[in-house]
Amino acid sequence: MTEVDGDMPLGETRIEAAYGSGDGDNTSTATVASAPKGQIFEQIYRPWNGTLGPRWVRNYAIYRHHVYGIVTGSGHRRYHPFVRLTLLVVILGSMTPILMLLLSSMFSGDASGFLNRMWGVNRYNLWGNILGYFPRNLCMWPLLTALVVGGLVSDDRKNGTSAIYFSRPISRLDYASMKWLSAASVLGAVILLTYIMYYSAAVVFKGEGWSYIADTIPIFMGGLTAGILLVFTYTSIGIALSSISTSRFTASVSFLGLVLGSKIVAWLIEIQFETTYIYLLSPYDCLAHVGQWLVGLPPNYNHPLAVSAVSLILMNLASLAVFASRVASLEVTRE
Amino acid sequence: MYGPHVALDGINLKLGTGGVGILGPNGSGKSTLFKCILGLIRITEGGGSVLGRNIVTMGPEIRSKIGYMAEYDCLDPGLTAVDQVRYAGELLGMRPDHATQRSHEVLQYVGLEDQRYRKIETFSTGMRQATKLACSIVHDPEILFCDEPTNGLDASARQFMLDTLKRTISEGGGTVIMTSHVMEDIQGVCENVVMLSEGKVVIQGRIEELANQITREIEISVWGGATKLEEWLLMNGHRVRRMGRIMRVEHKGDETIHAILQGASSTGAQVRVLKEYEPDLEDIFLLIMQRLGQSAKASSDLEGV
Repeated sequence: MTEVDGDMPLGETRIEAAYGSGDGDNTSTATVASAPKGQIFEQIYRPWNGTLGPRWVRNYAIYRHHVYGIVTGSGHRRYHPFVRLTLLVVILGSMTPILMLLLSSMFSGDASGFLNRMWGVNRYNLWGNILGYFPRNLCMWPLLTALVVGGLVSDDRKNGTSAIYFSRPISRLDYASMKWLSAASVLGAVILLTYIMYYSAAVVFKGEGWSYIADTIPIFMGGLTAGILLVFTYTSIGIALSSISTSRFTASVSFLGLVLGSKIVAWLIEIQFETTYIYLLSPYDCLAHVGQWLVGLPPNYNHPLAVSAVSLILMNLASLAVFASRVASLEVTRE
Repeated sequence: MYGPHVALDGINLKLGTGGVGILGPNGSGKSTLFKCILGLIRITEGGGSVLGRNIVTMGPEIRSKIGYMAEYDCLDPGLTAVDQVRYAGELLGMRPDHATQRSHEVLQYVGLEDQRYRKIETFSTGMRQATKLACSIVHDPEILFCDEPTNGLDASARQFMLDTLKRTISEGGGTVIMTSHVMEDIQGVCENVVMLSEGKVVIQGRIEELANQITREIEISVWGGATKLEEWLLMNGHRVRRMGRIMRVEHKGDETIHAILQGASSTGAQVRVLKEYEPDLEDIFLLIMQRLGQSAKASSDLEGV
């Protein structure tokens, strides 16, 4: 540390304006007491001779930054405590069937039978764990997506942090894919893991054997595939909306409006005109339709399954195209 | 090219080590030049290399060897300074433990040692600029690009930033390429300068050498009778630039000094200070722009400067 000498002269006074007057002198000014400031730390440039990791190391850094922020309070991307609290509530809420299965295994007789019929493994419950409208697709999954995905790209647009990425050896493909993957991982961890836990809990708590697993695993896999489709679709739509906005609030509300609004509008039109085709505009209903086929349930929709599948594919393609286009337009140096 | 607009045209640059200042009015192509060097935009014609790497095909390799300090805010306000710099290092491929250690070092270097655990949203403009600098030197780059590094800084923060950049050149041994609208900043850090206008290089070279090409002047400070002296000098064929009681007279030789003294004697003006004026970068810039005007088409317009 360098000490500042107390006797050090702090400046000089020049009163040049005190002399003379006349032509040109009326613009004169006095400069007084300019004080140089002391530096109170030692500034040393230290070289660094380490080696930089390859592409996957950089990509993993992006992934880690976004995913770890959910569970750690600091050091990574900041998620508001309310977001993390909501996430916890959603996780606990999606695990309530496991609690009911536990209760079912603890009782015997009619009580156990009732609990098992209501919450045990069957086609309806496996489908409902992923694609049931209330509470999961009305209150939980869209809210989860809006909170997690809303700020992923919009924050970079707002804060200019895209420059941190693109002035480094990060390609736009790496940036986009890692952002997408980190969002999908969080959604997948909540939606798919709780689904897997539910099925595993049913097997463990009821003491089921291999024959039970062999019987139910195709339905379980159908539900899992529907879950993967849901995570993919919600992530794609959410991140596309995030990429066209500079506000995470706008992106989140847009996502909720799109998913919930399209469902409500389609429902009102179905009541009025007795047609289900308008459900093709609703991401949830397209997923629900395809999910019913995957799990083997009779469909709730009058239109062909293929049309819902095509609509789902188009929604994903459109979302990814918007996302790619907006990422391509992110600037390093603002014009 | 940006659509039909030619952003950079016939640029031919060879930049060595040390400080290099990039000057030019808005829209002259400074940012586009940076993007080309960073390998972020595909050039339609020609080529180039940075640190021996082709800017067309080896953009990522180039960007891992250089540091870029953006002009505008590019920091996550929710992160602490040490986390932001660490993340910037990790995005280059540094191991997390190395990046953490290095972020402490560079934050100490840029004067934020005591503030490193504060969130960036609580930082002043000067501290944000220092954090951006720390992010750009976290991997000890061979070339550091600074886009308007003193933007929005007060006098003391500005001086600290310039001193830090100078020290980065002298102790880091690399190259600092900076743009600024403040000529004093460029002159304070860089020995070399490149001036752009309408996508073309209009001048490049050492500042000292460029300054020598400017018309030399004698600067005098006159008390009383300045107008009479000015009129006398103009009547006797001398070129005079006047700023209040300060006058700059074109230096043609020893006879200029004799003429000034003779004029002062004739008009009764008091010459309090008489010295040879040393032109700075501001003078060079203004002169070049004045000569270019709006009709400049090529760097050949500057012949004879």
